[in-house]
Amino acid sequence: MRLSTKCRYGLRALIDLALFSTEKQIALKDIAERQNVSLKYLEQEFSLLKRTGLVRSVKGSRGGYLLAKPAEEILLDEIIRALEGDTLIIDVDDKETSELRSFLQRHLWEQLNRDVEAYFHSISLADLVRDYLAKTAGGEMFYI
Amino acid sequence: MRISTKGSYAMEAMLAIASHDDDRAVSIREISERTGISDKYLEQIFLLLKEAGLLRGTRGVGGGYVLSKTAEEITVGDILRATETSFSPVPCLNEDDACNMMPICATREVWIGLDATIRATTDHMTLRDLLVAFRTDSSKALDNYSI
Repeated sequence: MRLSTKCRYGLRALIDLALFSTEKQIALKDIAERQNVSLKYLEQEFSLLKRTGLVRSVKGSRGGYLLAKPAEEILLDEIIRALEGDTLIIDVDDKETSELRSFLQRHLWEQLNRDVEAYFHSISLADLVRDYLAKTAGGEMFYI
Repeated sequence: MRISTKGSYAMEAMLAIASHDDDRAVSIREISERTGISDKYLEQIFLLLKEAGLLRGTRGVGGGYVLSKTAEEITVGDILRATETSFSPVPCLNEDDACNMMPICATREVWIGLDATIRATTDHMTLRDLLVAFRTDSSKALDNYSI
């Protein structure tokens, strides 16, 4: 059970964007440099984030990305869903199965899926930015 | 991020053994018939569960498998940790495995919280809890049937 690197890096890139795009759009190249990930990789991730309405792009020679809504309104479950496809930690199988399997589905797996979704839903991008700023208060390093 | 088929089959097989009506050992064949999981796959899973001290094999006529502790002493987390290759959402939860950015990482806390959320359920739910709920469910199903 592991979150994909796409998800982990994507979240870091989004925190970076939230931190730096307060006044104007940020070029992916800058995020790529700060986060030490390839530009190609970030382009893929940002196309997913854009498609799901979490970021928007500004075209032109000084183009780049901005958050599509305030960081308070971007919740972690939306981010994970945009990057991973869903927040499930186990597949919910509707097929006709054994008595034991459908019991576990109802009493254990669906419960776990709900717990995880509720956890992600309780955290906003703004919370993550605040935590980061608190951690780095006074320090000069800007690594997410 | 998914719990693997191996982990979910292990849960099913352990519940099959725990819910067996009498105290004798349960054979792989019986579990396979009840769950639809192949004998070969069950053998692989049982090897892991034996190594983790959750299951014990008995030899001879009527040989098979029994829990090596009471159902109350075995948690869902024990079973999943024994069978899942990695049971943490990211590789850096353990401080020794974290990268050198750990002190100022903006996302590690999120994954620590996620891990704690998953553990809150899996480390508190025992095989006995599941067994009690399963028996309640089955008897309800029987009641409905008799009406």
